[in-house]
Amino acid sequence: MIVKDYMTKHPVMIDPAMSIVEAQSIMAETKTRHLPVVGEGKRLVGLITHETLRIPPNILTSLDVWEITRFLSNLTVKDVMVKCKDIITIGPDITIEEAARIMVEHKIGCLPVLNEEIVVGIITDTDLMAHLVEMLAAPEPSVRVTMRMSLATGELARLVAAISAQGWGIWALGGIYSPKDPNSWEAVFKISDAPREQVIAALSKIEGQKIIDVREVAG
Amino acid sequence: MTNVQRDQAPILKVENVAISYETRYGDVEAVRRVSFEVGHATTFGLVGESGCGKSTVAFGIVDFLGPNGKITGGSIKFQGRELVGRTENELRRLRGDQIAMVYQDPMQALNPSLTISDQLNEVLTVHRNISEAEAWKKSVAMLERVYMPDCSNVMSRYPHQISGGQQQRVVIAMALLTNPALLIMDEPTTALDVTVEAVVLDLIEDLKRDFDTAIVYITHDLGVVARVCNEVGVMYAGEMVESGPVEAIFADPKHPYTQGLMRCVPKLGSTKESSRLYPIRGRVPAPKDRPKGACIFAPRCDYVTDRCHNELPVMEEASSEHRVRCFHHKEIDVAAWKPSEDLVFDLPAVEEKESQEPILEVKDLRTYYTQESKSVWSLVGLGQKRYVKAVDGVSLEVPAGKTLGIVGESGCGKSTLAKTIVGLEASTAGKAEFLGFDITVPVSARDIKLIQELQMVFQNPDSTMNPSYSIGQQIGRPLQRFKTVPANQVREEVIRLLHAVRLDESYYDRLPRQLSGGEKQRVGIARAFASRPELVLCDEPVSALDVSVQAAVLNLLLEIQHEFHTTLLFIAHDLSVVRFFSDYVAVMYLGHVVEFGPAEAIYAPPYHPYTEALLSAVPIPDPTAEQKHIRLEGSVPSALKPPSGCVFHTRCPRRTLLADGGLICETEVPPWRYNTEQHRIYCHIPLEVSRQMEPVVTAG
Repeated sequence: MIVKDYMTKHPVMIDPAMSIVEAQSIMAETKTRHLPVVGEGKRLVGLITHETLRIPPNILTSLDVWEITRFLSNLTVKDVMVKCKDIITIGPDITIEEAARIMVEHKIGCLPVLNEEIVVGIITDTDLMAHLVEMLAAPEPSVRVTMRMSLATGELARLVAAISAQGWGIWALGGIYSPKDPNSWEAVFKISDAPREQVIAALSKIEGQKIIDVREVAG
Repeated sequence: MTNVQRDQAPILKVENVAISYETRYGDVEAVRRVSFEVGHATTFGLVGESGCGKSTVAFGIVDFLGPNGKITGGSIKFQGRELVGRTENELRRLRGDQIAMVYQDPMQALNPSLTISDQLNEVLTVHRNISEAEAWKKSVAMLERVYMPDCSNVMSRYPHQISGGQQQRVVIAMALLTNPALLIMDEPTTALDVTVEAVVLDLIEDLKRDFDTAIVYITHDLGVVARVCNEVGVMYAGEMVESGPVEAIFADPKHPYTQGLMRCVPKLGSTKESSRLYPIRGRVPAPKDRPKGACIFAPRCDYVTDRCHNELPVMEEASSEHRVRCFHHKEIDVAAWKPSEDLVFDLPAVEEKESQEPILEVKDLRTYYTQESKSVWSLVGLGQKRYVKAVDGVSLEVPAGKTLGIVGESGCGKSTLAKTIVGLEASTAGKAEFLGFDITVPVSARDIKLIQELQMVFQNPDSTMNPSYSIGQQIGRPLQRFKTVPANQVREEVIRLLHAVRLDESYYDRLPRQLSGGEKQRVGIARAFASRPELVLCDEPVSALDVSVQAAVLNLLLEIQHEFHTTLLFIAHDLSVVRFFSDYVAVMYLGHVVEFGPAEAIYAPPYHPYTEALLSAVPIPDPTAEQKHIRLEGSVPSALKPPSGCVFHTRCPRRTLLADGGLICETEVPPWRYNTEQHRIYCHIPLEVSRQMEPVVTAG
């Protein structure tokens, strides 16, 4: 899963000279929360987010109603945007977990994807969330199982062997260190065409592994 | 699938747009009430006949309407930004960076005096502001991306030095260099041959996926729409009458106009015996004559009621994404549709004559064009002459009263063959007999009786009619010349002929410019049939016409053929039309007939590999039909130096079926293999092998 395959290509981009009123209306119209600001040849010069469009309260209180209107209509994107040097960007060839790590580390909601200064896409926290859902998605109703196993090599292979011995297929698979027990690992997966009881019966026979959770899900 | 429902805003949103042109008669509304949306990686097809405003909409999006055109209402939003009312400067930047266009004729989109590299690099140096060397690298990479053979060499060539398909690839590469979010394609494959078209359509499909580009695809060809579009908007007389997903539009067209269009195109595989084409009656009204405050299609509609004439229909939802502008779309039952009286005609069963005497017999006919070599000797007439072998050993025979269709790509010699038969080109060698007369002599040396029996209908009715003579004079001319009727009855005869082609007496005194394209072609047909010929050669008689007009002209030809029992030689590049219209088909490639036989035999295995490729390339107006994917590589070799052995061996995808990878194809001329007495294939591959090929097209 590489960023270039999962980013939004052709993000909505705006000019530095645009008024912020228009930038706001574009955000509303296109239902986006981040607008890369680009100059000549789609080169990144800044970024507009909801936060940047917020007017600081000290300015608001010092102006009367008529002045606010004028203040707003004179304000351009260039005045409020996050400047290029302060934006964290990535290249198109990194993995999406790396992109997610950068976003978590800096507590930011989006990463413009650049190819030699030129904006080629954008990846946001919503994108990553959507891909997380898709990673664990099955095309049909299925049984979702969480299994806890030790960190030894071959544990997962035993689990898969037990499932395929029943003639079942695995639709989605994810793994994570157990939150309760740092020395073990939990696999989350979905099984097609199998009743819940049979799944429990088959999986509980695997030695050294433990069923944490079994439920029937729509997809 | 539990795909997360992501509410992605469309790239382009057109709402209720109206576009007018200023003319002498005041403002003429060319387009009105057009709305559609195009999302990421979606192809939206705009279909309709000529003059319905498809291109105007496209030009409106980028404001290329010209000095007299203007957008008079509605909004066009590109990624949330309103485009209507933008200044020229703002739009120019957007056009260069985010919106790109590909036009119909690649030769006109490229500058003939600059090399390909100059033109490609300019896009990057101007819009991206990068160095020449860097731009060169990126341009070559993009040319590779559009599957251009021999990229770095092509960069230093001029547009006229590469083929039409390659030119169109250069134009597409140029459009994609800045990675635009929206690509507008205005009939990008209409000027291309069917095999080249297939490759370009595949390319467009690939690029859409890779670049995530939104595409507005303008075309009149329903087959192309079925192949590349995800969504379709059907335009009629400046309005959008129906829009929806491509499957829904083809499976269940709701608007009477869309239904009519579907009845106008022959499906690949339908024949004149098994089915009829039903043209839509009447014609598209001129913009200033369009009904106001009423349904725009009402004058031509079969389901018209009083309400249609008095009230303006709005776009209604037929299903979730399928919209239609018709009051009666719920009541209309397509299956129950009956053609109105004037469209039905019975083809009287032709009594099968026992003796299938061929009326036209061509044996090993050759037509070469000489070309002087460039050496100094040729200046004094001593240089070696070279020959363009336009027709190189063609043999065929046509039984009386039947239709022979000739198909092939441009440059395969089909028009030259027709011209040789009719006598406009002198043949070089071989025999050609018509009714027992030798017709290898040019027309000037032929007996007038012979000329009378051999007539021709040309592709472009505009250029074959004298603009300053009235229709009556032009049809009367062959009558006088051949003395078909006494001089005092010429006028009556002309009027009878006009009636035969469904034009009334009032056309007698009109001039060609007062006629529409379809009407002109009818006059062309009337003129060809005036001398009551035995054989009429039709050189692409319908390819310049809109589908509904095409259906009418084809029907007309069928009728007249039955009435006069005339033999027809029908040249076309559209394989569905040829299948529909012909009894026999000859497939030509590089001056040779490679397959000849009854129409139904050509379209089923065993195939000649070239026929197979042609059938796999032809766009079928049915998104559910399955087609084998065979694409020919390279372009047609030069007729100056045709390949040795089998002329098709340089591009043949089936050579591997033979021993040694088809070594024999390079060295030996293939034999004629007779599948049946009438069906023959010019190929080394034994019939036992080619019989096992699967059919190219299977209906969905």
